[in-house]
Amino acid sequence: MAGIMIVEDDRDLREMLKISLLKMKYTVIEASNGKEALLHFKPGITDMVITDLIMPDEDGLKVIMKIKEIKPSTKVIAISGGGKAGPGNYLSLARALGADEVFSKPFSVHDLLKKIEELLNSEQQD
Amino acid sequence: MERKLFIALVSEDQVFAASLKKTIRESLDFVQVNYFDSGLYFLSDLPDTKANLIISDQRNTSDDWKVFLELVLKHDSFALVIFIVEDRERGKSIDMIKSGAYDVITPASLSRIQSLLHRVLRDIEDKENLRYLSDEKNFGDHIANNSRSMLSIINRNYVYEKVNATFCNAQSIKIEGIIGKPLSEIWGKETFESKIKGNIDLCFLGNTVRYEANFNTPLFGNRFFEVVFRPIKKDSGEITHLLAETFDITDLRLSQQVVNDMEEEFKKLETNLPIGFLRCDTAGTIIHANRAFLKIMECEDENSLAGLGIQEFYAEKGLFEIHLSQLLNTQIKTFGRVQLFTCNGNEIACRISGFIVTNESGNPSYIDFAFEDSSRELMLENRLLQAQKLETIGALAGGMAHDFNNILATIYGYSEMLLEEIPKSTASAEKVSRIITAITKAKSLTDQILTFSRQIDQEKIPVSVADVLNETIGFVKSGKPENIDIKEDIPVTDVHIHADPTQLFRVFLNLMTNAIQSMEEIGGTMFVKFAIVDGSLVRHDLNKDIVADEYALVTIEDTGEGMDPSLMHRIFEPYFTTRKIGKGTGLGLSVVHGIISEIEGEILVSSKKNKGSVFSVYLPVSSEYHNIEELNERGKNLLFISGNRYESRILSLALERSGYAVVFASDLNQLAKLISETDTKPDFIIYMDDSEEILPENLIDIYTAKQINIPVIMISDRNQLRSSEKLVNSGIVKQQLTKPVSLKEIHNAIQLSLK
Repeated sequence: MAGIMIVEDDRDLREMLKISLLKMKYTVIEASNGKEALLHFKPGITDMVITDLIMPDEDGLKVIMKIKEIKPSTKVIAISGGGKAGPGNYLSLARALGADEVFSKPFSVHDLLKKIEELLNSEQQD
Repeated sequence: MERKLFIALVSEDQVFAASLKKTIRESLDFVQVNYFDSGLYFLSDLPDTKANLIISDQRNTSDDWKVFLELVLKHDSFALVIFIVEDRERGKSIDMIKSGAYDVITPASLSRIQSLLHRVLRDIEDKENLRYLSDEKNFGDHIANNSRSMLSIINRNYVYEKVNATFCNAQSIKIEGIIGKPLSEIWGKETFESKIKGNIDLCFLGNTVRYEANFNTPLFGNRFFEVVFRPIKKDSGEITHLLAETFDITDLRLSQQVVNDMEEEFKKLETNLPIGFLRCDTAGTIIHANRAFLKIMECEDENSLAGLGIQEFYAEKGLFEIHLSQLLNTQIKTFGRVQLFTCNGNEIACRISGFIVTNESGNPSYIDFAFEDSSRELMLENRLLQAQKLETIGALAGGMAHDFNNILATIYGYSEMLLEEIPKSTASAEKVSRIITAITKAKSLTDQILTFSRQIDQEKIPVSVADVLNETIGFVKSGKPENIDIKEDIPVTDVHIHADPTQLFRVFLNLMTNAIQSMEEIGGTMFVKFAIVDGSLVRHDLNKDIVADEYALVTIEDTGEGMDPSLMHRIFEPYFTTRKIGKGTGLGLSVVHGIISEIEGEILVSSKKNKGSVFSVYLPVSSEYHNIEELNERGKNLLFISGNRYESRILSLALERSGYAVVFASDLNQLAKLISETDTKPDFIIYMDDSEEILPENLIDIYTAKQINIPVIMISDRNQLRSSEKLVNSGIVKQQLTKPVSLKEIHNAIQLSLK
């Protein structure tokens, strides 16, 4: 089954995502910030990264950029929680850097799972 | 007047007389003393005497002092007679003085003679004058010579027959130099012909002629005179002479001119001063107002203020009376920011300074007031305060909303999982569904708070303001009550602004909904206008330092219930509402404010209770969006030189999205190749100084070696400015920016460097 990395600094939310992904039989790798995510990124087993955008220690934008560099086929879903650290438009930048889909918190897990399946299927078709 | 003192000394005591004579001569050197050894002898000589002082020794004499005095005074009523009596006869002296004696002395008080003589001299002078004036003929001359006017008598041949001393003294000419001379000689032929002769002729016809003229004469120079010619009529009615009265008014004229000039200047100042000036009586009733006052108070003209009291402008009743009493105590006082109502009923704030003007006796006669409009100052202060307040609330609320979204996301996720796990159509499933509904509501709330606090991601693209306005109006029209009219004035333009169209729609919808709601009960009209205004206007209206060249100004005006001015400045605060409870969330205008601020726009509101409100939205028109097609067509080639930092990548991506064709150069070889080949030659270069492969020196070398003139825009780190100095000094860099930079700044820099 596909491997998905969750990058999210909110522990409860990360836990919730993990449970719902595990239910769908995905392999889950967790990271609580960008630095950790890049450190633990295993191209061989990771097909998708779901990342929050604003986090302490390397934000989501850098995660997206680096991961797309290391393994361009990795699907990326960015989750925006609102809140900004500076000028710029995080959602559009995330898209520009290669995020395949963007969700705003709070989002429906149901919709998220549907989108994950869709993206992973499209990869298989490629 | 120099006058010799003639003293007649009458005494039978020759020794005494000699010693007295000696004493007198010692004290006065211009005195002549004639000695008479008896009263009878003196009296017989009386008709010829020149004496102006008679000293008569009345000791041991048979003379009757009364007869003596009577005869002397009869001869000359101004004669001064001093009697000398024995000490023991001093009782007589009262009778003597009562009878007309000048003074009485005794041998013991002879030492008084010196001071007495000085007094005599003074009195003689007065008596002489009196004597002189008592003569009718002399009196006339005296008056004439002492008049401040130059007096003259002129005959029909225009010749001076008589002039007074003033005439001579004024110009230091001797009387002989004037008498018998024709006026044309004294005043000059030209002056005489043009300014004098005609008036004299008129006078000889029997008229009194009075005029003022400026005479430029050889004798008098250029001076102003007031002249009166009076005909001197004989009993027969014939006029052979006239009396000319000439008064030199040059100094008066000059000083008047100075005063007039000063008055003129003051009047100008008072009229043109931006400070309202008001003169009132001591009760505060208006006497005079200047133009600035009329302007500040929106009054038509000064007449409309007639009889009004200042207190009628005061918003707070009774406050003027307090000010007045303070003013009367202190004479001068300034009252800061007094709320006033203008003639049009608008509320303004003024700094009022009052000054008590007192009359000669020190009592207040007027009160002068200076009015300075501090409304704008107050408005700007309030705006700043409000902006700071909203910023603080925004930071707090935004931070909370962000964290709250994480929590909501967790609840949302588990609720959905739960819903899948429990059997459908059960009471439990229904309850979980309700949790999800509540989460959706909470999401909408946090979304509004984030928008207000400018922390929501707005997808900004070029948007036509007119299109969004028309769309919003269409939407509002479909659901509006029948008693409300909508009038719009939206010109067809292709003016674009940089915004999220959904959010812009939200702004307009919110403002229009508010307008309609304020008129729901009474009905009315909503006006929607759209215009392009110059940035300089916005700079003034909003007191902003940095403004765009142009602004799209959208005004949404209603004729509804309006707002209390004191509440107006708070309407953008979240959860602040003037509406009845249950209508609206109280976040609408906060959200509007957040969206507009995010796109660097401004919103202003003015409102009048029961008249309606006007919301003015200023949205910056970026010049590059004036014609969006043109920008895309241009599609300039951009060479991006940077290190591998992801900020640089993000920036280059953003530029690519803005329509530039971006090429990267990561090493020197690549750079050299790209800029020398025609088909890859960029239009401009953006150089980020984080590049490790291509250093400023390298760029200079290549530019010099290959004689390249492609403009360079440098973006440097604030901390590394020094390392790039060389590049800037070389002249290659056309524009220099410091991080953090906005896309707008880069667009501007690109446009400037390509010019």
